[in-house]
Amino acid sequence: MTTLPIVNSLSVLLILTSLSVVESRRLKVSAYFYSAQSLVLISIFLTLAILSEAEQLYLWSVTALVTKAFLVPFILLRVIRTTGVIEEEPPLIRTTWSLLLAAVMVGIAFVLVQPFHLFAVLKYKTALAVSLAHFLLGLHCMITRRNALKQLLGFCLMENGSHLTLAIMAYNVPKLVEIGILTDAVFGVLIMSLIAKKLHDAFGSMDASQLKMLKG
Amino acid sequence: MEYGKLFLVGILQAALIMLTAPLLDGISRRVRARMHSRRGCSIFQTYYDLFKLLKREQTVPPQASWLFTTTPYILVAILLLLAMIIPSITLISPLGLVGDLFAVLYLMALIRFFFSLSGLDSGSTFAAAGSSREMMLAVLMEPAMIMVMLTLALLTGSSNLGIISTQVASGQISLLNPAFGIGLIAFFLATAVETGKLPFDLAEAEQELQEGPLTEYSGRGLALMKLALLMKQVIVIALFVALFLPFGGAANLSLGSLIWGTVIFLGKLLVFYVLLAFVENAVARYRIADVTTITSLSFGISLISFVFYLVAS
Repeated sequence: MTTLPIVNSLSVLLILTSLSVVESRRLKVSAYFYSAQSLVLISIFLTLAILSEAEQLYLWSVTALVTKAFLVPFILLRVIRTTGVIEEEPPLIRTTWSLLLAAVMVGIAFVLVQPFHLFAVLKYKTALAVSLAHFLLGLHCMITRRNALKQLLGFCLMENGSHLTLAIMAYNVPKLVEIGILTDAVFGVLIMSLIAKKLHDAFGSMDASQLKMLKG
Repeated sequence: MEYGKLFLVGILQAALIMLTAPLLDGISRRVRARMHSRRGCSIFQTYYDLFKLLKREQTVPPQASWLFTTTPYILVAILLLLAMIIPSITLISPLGLVGDLFAVLYLMALIRFFFSLSGLDSGSTFAAAGSSREMMLAVLMEPAMIMVMLTLALLTGSSNLGIISTQVASGQISLLNPAFGIGLIAFFLATAVETGKLPFDLAEAEQELQEGPLTEYSGRGLALMKLALLMKQVIVIALFVALFLPFGGAANLSLGSLIWGTVIFLGKLLVFYVLLAFVENAVARYRIADVTTITSLSFGISLISFVFYLVAS
């Protein structure tokens, strides 16, 4: 049971890194923070693998290391380098309100987790709630940011959150499911970053709110 | 508990903080010089400066009232009281009766009040600008500090600084506790702003406001004000250490553990000052409008810490 506080505190680190991803204005910094967050996620996987002797999670952490910690940030950094967009456009809501929303989301996530007390996962209550809060934070990032790459990062955060939920609640699903989810995410990121690049080529910025000019 | 002996320890602590504050400043000046590839002055230079100022004549602006001349003494007195209250070399607060989080918070607000009032009283425009900045900083920073302290008090079930320190040092509140860990980060940001070192050097802002509220001070008044500012830096760091990293403080009042506690406390201070010196030379000063981002970040993080206390058990 000594790994339980480790999992909980690592999930707290997850929240902090995702806040940094959402709040930093420089896209490059955001991408690096996303990579760091993936490393935290992988260490949670490894801790869970050792604690609950789930062989599957070792494989998960290897695939996550390749895709999340290296491949996805690599694609993002390449797009940033080729387009030369350094900073995102000012977001729709200010940092203060964004952080207040984040605190509210963490609270909501804990309330949502309560009904799970029948299952064995309750001992990871904090981690489970954090994974839900993480999903909400990603959604928040996608809605309130105007930059296409930032919205893409929001998508990646949501993906990380759902990954953690899966690892806690169903770590013994077949390998195929896990591989399917990861390739989904990587191709999603690839396609969306291509679209972001096209957007930049056409308009000279990555402001997704200007997409309405494409009609006709 | 032997109150008499604890009181003596408190006086010792106050003397220690007052006497080492200029030395720590001297060390950070030396570190800065080394980073500029200069040889730098002696680490005792700040003492020489203060003694020289003490010997000089003091001038008072004609429109200033009694407040201007008494503020330096009031500030040093409040800071000495704070140095006695905050458990730095011991785990229990030397002044157990008033060793309370809220007392500390209000005493720090009182320092702000007198500091900015003296600036307004002097009638100088630079001083007034510095004063208004100081008050603005207070308004922005205090919610975050109060939030973290509230969370800590709820976690330990007591607002007494000594009890909090003891519980943290004995591991009853683990560093891995989510609310505690996040609170640490929020309070660290608040501490960085409160020390008034370079990225947040806003109220005194040497190059821009000519030291803000200190503009009109000279001679003995300036020496005391400078001493007060140096002591405030040490005390803010000591408060952070007492709340979040009290490990190594003296648990009982035997001579050996007191000496050991003093050594460890000075070591922690030294680490903090060297780190601050590195940061100070790597960054430029924030504009006052940009500080709201940092303070709201700190407040948001403290709010998340509170939520973690509230819902995770």
